[in-house]
Amino acid sequence: MRRGLIYGLKKFWSEVFSGDLLILFFSIVLAVTSISSVGFLGDRLQSSMQMQASTMLGADLVLRSTSQIDPEFLAKAKASNLNYAETTTFLSMVITEDDNLLTSIKAVTESYPLRGKLKVVNANGIQIQHSGAPPSGKIWIEKKISESLGLNQLDTLSIGNKNLIVEGIIEDYPDRNSSFVGFYPTAIANIADVEEMGVIQTGSRVVYRKLFSGTKNNLNSFEDSLKELPSDIRLQKAIDVSSDLGEDIANSTIFFNLASLFTIIISVIAAMMAVRRYANRNLLHTSLMKVFGASKPFIFGHQIMQLTLIVISASIFGLILGYSLQHLLLSTLQGIIIIDLPSPSLRPVIIGFTTAAFVVFATTAPYIKILSETEPIRILRNDFAIRLSSNFIIYLVAFFTMFGFLGVLFQDIKLIFYIVMALILVTFTLYLIGKLLIYVLSLIKFSNGTGWNLGLKNIVQRGNDSILQIIIFGLSLLFLVVLAETRTDLVDSWGETLEEDTPNYFLFNIQEYNLNTISDYLEDEAGIIPDFTPLIRGRLLSASRPESDVNFDNLMDREANLTWRYDIPQSNTLVDGTWWTNPDKVAEVSVDQEIAASMNLEVGDELNFSAGGKTFSVTVSSFREIEWQSFSPNFFFILSPAAGRELPNSYITSIKIEDSEKLMNKFITRFPTISAVNLEAIIDQAKKSISSASLAVQYIFLLTLIAGILALIASIYSNRDQRTKETAIIHAIGASRAMIFKSAASEFFILGMLSAITAIIFSTLLSSIIFYQFLDLIYSPNLIILGLSFLLAIGFIFFAGVISVRKSVYASPMITLRDS
Amino acid sequence: MDCFDEFTDKESVSRILKNKAKEILKNLILELKNITKEVNSPEGLLTIVKDINLTVEQGKPISLVGPSGSGKTTLLAIMAGLDLPTLGTVNLLGSEITTLDEDKRAQIRGQDVGFVFQSFHLMPRLTALDNVMLPLEILGDPHSMDKAQEALEQVGLSNREKHFAAQLSGGEKQRVAIARSIVNKPKILFADEPTGNLDKKSSDSISDLLFSLNEIIQTTLVLVTHDLFLAGKCKEVYELSEGQIL
Repeated sequence: MRRGLIYGLKKFWSEVFSGDLLILFFSIVLAVTSISSVGFLGDRLQSSMQMQASTMLGADLVLRSTSQIDPEFLAKAKASNLNYAETTTFLSMVITEDDNLLTSIKAVTESYPLRGKLKVVNANGIQIQHSGAPPSGKIWIEKKISESLGLNQLDTLSIGNKNLIVEGIIEDYPDRNSSFVGFYPTAIANIADVEEMGVIQTGSRVVYRKLFSGTKNNLNSFEDSLKELPSDIRLQKAIDVSSDLGEDIANSTIFFNLASLFTIIISVIAAMMAVRRYANRNLLHTSLMKVFGASKPFIFGHQIMQLTLIVISASIFGLILGYSLQHLLLSTLQGIIIIDLPSPSLRPVIIGFTTAAFVVFATTAPYIKILSETEPIRILRNDFAIRLSSNFIIYLVAFFTMFGFLGVLFQDIKLIFYIVMALILVTFTLYLIGKLLIYVLSLIKFSNGTGWNLGLKNIVQRGNDSILQIIIFGLSLLFLVVLAETRTDLVDSWGETLEEDTPNYFLFNIQEYNLNTISDYLEDEAGIIPDFTPLIRGRLLSASRPESDVNFDNLMDREANLTWRYDIPQSNTLVDGTWWTNPDKVAEVSVDQEIAASMNLEVGDELNFSAGGKTFSVTVSSFREIEWQSFSPNFFFILSPAAGRELPNSYITSIKIEDSEKLMNKFITRFPTISAVNLEAIIDQAKKSISSASLAVQYIFLLTLIAGILALIASIYSNRDQRTKETAIIHAIGASRAMIFKSAASEFFILGMLSAITAIIFSTLLSSIIFYQFLDLIYSPNLIILGLSFLLAIGFIFFAGVISVRKSVYASPMITLRDS
Repeated sequence: MDCFDEFTDKESVSRILKNKAKEILKNLILELKNITKEVNSPEGLLTIVKDINLTVEQGKPISLVGPSGSGKTTLLAIMAGLDLPTLGTVNLLGSEITTLDEDKRAQIRGQDVGFVFQSFHLMPRLTALDNVMLPLEILGDPHSMDKAQEALEQVGLSNREKHFAAQLSGGEKQRVAIARSIVNKPKILFADEPTGNLDKKSSDSISDLLFSLNEIIQTTLVLVTHDLFLAGKCKEVYELSEGQIL
């Protein structure tokens, strides 16, 4: 064995560069590149999302309540060695000598924020070097406040009883969207000044937050100590927030995983064909070594060393490429990822090596056995044919080991199950098609001896080789077509989420008496007829289930924006129950399905609200799925007209304005009481995300495409030696070059066409499963992609096949025969 | 005294006979006893060689001749331990190889046996020098390159070291194959139709080379051929017909 290992080591590079192992080498490189680029990317994205999520919270873990939080939690956090900060947020008027503005006051301790960055600049735009809170008696304000109230640095403003000096302008701060006051401009004050302000009274709307950060273990131990939280305190964790982040990233990650899985499978197919050719050609070498005294362990050692070196070298090469590709993907995803990413962990490296080892094992196991058990007598018999039928069990073991590994790797048994089923089904169908083709062609008498006929005869004569080629072509094409369809539909579906007429402004605080004036103004100035939606500020008090004792307590007592309307909004889809039974008579409510699920609601439950000074009950009549990307006013709770019509309300609308800045400046001057929120930055961010994610998807798809082309080439070249020899013989006995080309053309055309038709038919089946089960998209066959794939597949197989015989056609038959 | 003389004579005759037998045994490099080889074929059980007994003395080249299908190559494979007989025993270089497993037989072949084939069987991806080094590399010989260069020099191809098989003529390929077969200084050299794929001129040259090397490296040549002229150069010629020695 040791001598075999040394011999394998000495001969490695000459064997690799001689060509037989090159396709195997590149197949593994592609598999490792694919899995590691996605692995590196996923690894870093996950860290990035955690960081972004922590930034959104300003901490790793937050306790939030609308009433004062018991200091005992602070003691527990100290016991768990956690860092600690505190914020108190409320709405108050900021008053200057001339004007005032409703502002969100965020009073913070000096350790704020625990995560993310706070950026405060002075009048010259230079960052002020402060800890997280302004000194007592000073305040930081957002630019919007300074502009609205004409405030400069060192000017004085007052909040309640307290006068405060403007120390700086807030450019950025974390936990921006952590409270109900997100729409109002923010001012940050020192928490020590709150009492003196005297604005927090009984019944004031205040959000108290206690922020914690620390190591994972310390956070876990703190969380364990919080098991029984009072119902008014909500626990928020970065990890929960991260799951809500970046749907584009989440969708692209699914695609990346799918593409990566397909690349590995196609690489395995390519590797199988490469190994088959390698083993066929290596049988002479191995038999000769046996004649010259090589033992079974020697041959085994030789093979193991070569394959180990292939795994190592191809993995290193693949990892370098994977890491580079990940960099490319990250640069295209910059629109989505805004934070400097941490370095990746070692996990993708380990996965890369393991993938390479499994690909090599799955493809070479049967051949290692055959080669090490080769009888030396083959040399005298000139018998170098490999019969795999006796090694069927090893193939099965290799097949299931490979898919077992992929199941563990992708942690998605369902997906792997569907892929295995598709593989078995398609292989079996292609086998039957191949058998049928050979049977039909064998019935035809080819008498006129044209090149086309010769090609058809060759298909029959090659028998199992022809069937194998149909199977390999078909499987490679199947995965490529499915991925091409997935890529196209995914990118299209992202594009559809932001249509041209997506609103870019929200207008709210609109009173009924203003509706007509605003409507007329917008129609005259911009040709817009706004659709006003009633907005009712309410509170969900409790829920109950008739004739049942379900406890909803810990989910109740929450702020709720309500509306009422007759019809279901365009951007909503009814998923359970029915829309109003009698809108003007029956008091009902339709609830967002995600909120309903989190509250454990069922259709028929009773909800009690308070709004406009009165309390009322409504029956849950339906659940809705909300398309939030529509940027239209959307509500968790929609009341039936019977329930909502009489409640005091203001109105909200969303509009799309061209040349928005000019018009909105005029609008705000004309209607100073109306609040306008510009959505353009958010929309631009979303558009950027979509185009970034689409581009990243293209790169990954390209990798799978290369693997597919490699598999097709490997398959075409798998019986090239035999084809070359036969070409030389028929050329020697008088066949013209044109005839040989026509023969190859007809052979590859038929094989390509049959495999392409089968692949296209089955790709629609597999695509529909993947769309429905994994991407949550509705599948409708993309005829352009399917048609184009069909033509390209036939074209590629046809031309690659014809090119593969070119060399032997132009070489002297004598030389070819002598060399073979 | 008579008795003594008689005893002495008997003893001496016995001793002489024993010594002679020992000497013969010592000189025997290959012994086949009752060798029969049968294989299954679509037509039923087929006997390829039948009840063959044969001995080969060290240094005495022998040849097996006969028409195609007479069982020459099968017999050669059995002699060299490349195949096992259905019945009978083979003693090669003092070891009864018919009782040994494939790896043990491979060990004997690697150390003391050389082969030349009709189809040359050079590795197309290796240079002439690498091809000749192959048997020594399998043995783990640290001087494999020097020895391979020497062997190529012996067959007159030192100027072709870096050539691949496809760059050599038929005669040159067989010379490389011969260099490969003698590189480990084998005690016995099996050649299966070594001139079967060559023209007359190359054939004569190869046969001269084989017999001259046989003398230089003191190996024993076992030649399978249907070239009677070539066979005639051996000290003993066995003719096979339908699996039996005539």
